Amino acid sequence: MNPFKLAWNYFRIGMMNELQYRVNFFIQLLQTGVALATGLIGLALVFDQVDNLAGWTRPELLAVMGVHILMGGVIRSAIQPNMERLMNDVLNGTLDFALTKPADAQALVSVREFRFWQLTDVLVGLVVIGVAVTQLQRGMEAMQVVAFIAALMMGAIMLYCVWLMVTSIAFWVIRVSEIVNLFEGLYAAGRWPVGVYPDWLRTGLTFLVPVAFAVTVPAEAMTNRLTSETMLFALGLTLLFLVLARVVWLFGLKSYSGASA
Amino acid sequence: MSSVVSISQLAKYYQVPEREGGLKASIVSLFNRKYKNVKAVDGITFNVEAGEVVGFLGPNGAGKTTTLKMLSGLLHPTSGNVSVLGYEPRHRSHDYLRQITLVMGNRNQLTWDLPALDSFDLQRAVYGIPVDQFKRTRDEFIELLELKDLVNKPVRNLSLGERMKMEIVAALLHQPKVLFLDEPTIGLDVTMQRRIRSFIAEYNKRYNATVLLTSHYMADVEALCKRVIVIHHGRILFDGDLSKLVNQFSSYKTLSLSLHDPNVELSNYGEVVSKEDGRVTLRVPKAQTSQVTARLLSDLQVDDLTVEDAPVDDVIDQVFSQKEDA
Repeated sequence: MNPFKLAWNYFRIGMMNELQYRVNFFIQLLQTGVALATGLIGLALVFDQVDNLAGWTRPELLAVMGVHILMGGVIRSAIQPNMERLMNDVLNGTLDFALTKPADAQALVSVREFRFWQLTDVLVGLVVIGVAVTQLQRGMEAMQVVAFIAALMMGAIMLYCVWLMVTSIAFWVIRVSEIVNLFEGLYAAGRWPVGVYPDWLRTGLTFLVPVAFAVTVPAEAMTNRLTSETMLFALGLTLLFLVLARVVWLFGLKSYSGASA
Repeated sequence: MSSVVSISQLAKYYQVPEREGGLKASIVSLFNRKYKNVKAVDGITFNVEAGEVVGFLGPNGAGKTTTLKMLSGLLHPTSGNVSVLGYEPRHRSHDYLRQITLVMGNRNQLTWDLPALDSFDLQRAVYGIPVDQFKRTRDEFIELLELKDLVNKPVRNLSLGERMKMEIVAALLHQPKVLFLDEPTIGLDVTMQRRIRSFIAEYNKRYNATVLLTSHYMADVEALCKRVIVIHHGRILFDGDLSKLVNQFSSYKTLSLSLHDPNVELSNYGEVVSKEDGRVTLRVPKAQTSQVTARLLSDLQVDDLTVEDAPVDDVIDQVFSQKEDA
């Protein structure tokens, strides 16, 4: 079965499931509001002291924040829930159901869950980005918009790949739930452009947990900083991550079939 | 090659870390880990023909589930050959998976918070079942299992038995040719077990499906399976008709009698198993059955007497304990 059709069917189910719980929407709205407020306060504090941060002006940093919120919404609505379910399935043996379906197992475990209300973050992120663009007062050209969307998608794919690789470790080491916390901590670092961090951390945020590509690069696309080299590099890295994730996943699956009882 | 399932010399060994109890041993095992080879399945061979219902019997850890998992492609065999419908299960080809199903009585796949109907629809999508066929099969199953009033309720509001029925419907919507059922009636009450059993029997009849089932409940096996395969410690102890199993392994028969005078001492005729409402059950070695019956009839005033084979449960118990001693 076509993975996109599969994803759509699960998306429908996930939506039906979530729409039953209206309260979740309000809780989510509250959480997003709190996160947004702390973000804005942090930004205000920084610009009380300095005029720019590693070359980024105030509206540009607002754009970074918008992308960070948006991407956070994508992670929490589509990536994280699926990976957490995969971990639980490995733990409880219910992965067997997924593996006996006539569909690519990786595609299947990647689309089964969808948290509709977490899309609030995506919306709020878009609003923040919109505000940032008006404050930048130079608008965005068509090419920039395309580059921005492409960068966002590649960033999301890279994050998914990293998450899948880490989750695949569950096939060998059953308990990996702590890794989710670690990931959240590292993702929080993406609130600022990776350029503000020391080299070693920047490298980590670029290659280990590609927060740089998920947040900073799309923001660069918006703010006219993005070079075609960076874009090509991002494309290459996305493909590399996809291949790596596939390999690790298949290895994990092999170990699951080879040893588990 | 007409067999649906054909297995030869199939084996599955696991390596499990082994250590003694205690903190010191666990620290030592961090650096110097010792492994033990566990032979979950140790060279089994059998064939199953189309439309057959075969029961797998064996105590916990006998290798039943491991065998089912190798058949459904979840586990790769250590050695030996498996072929189902001409496919090698371990490749998990989509064409193969579309024709089989796996039901695990202690695990569920339905979405907890949604009505089962929605999960059924998901199954349709995943298996790519044509809509017409899907609706027909779904409604047929819903009617057979009398689920009409329940399919719109969220699964979490259903009882264990109702949920299991839904699980089975979901697992069979794509009309699989081969069914692997691992303890499908575990934890259910007797009525519910009976319903599920008769449904499986009906499905087997209507679709000429091949069924391999494991169960701890002898009633399941007696009702569904003409043929049983008994496994113990990963090896096959018996493969054949259920009635032959009883004949071959049972060493005694059960005499049940009503006496005019219920207080007579009977222990010199055989082992008294129970004594209720004037009815006594005696366990007598098979070879002596006719002799004991004759003695009872001539010595005492007997109102009624029946001779029965030992209950299958007891026979199975005996099989395993005999082999344990050997």
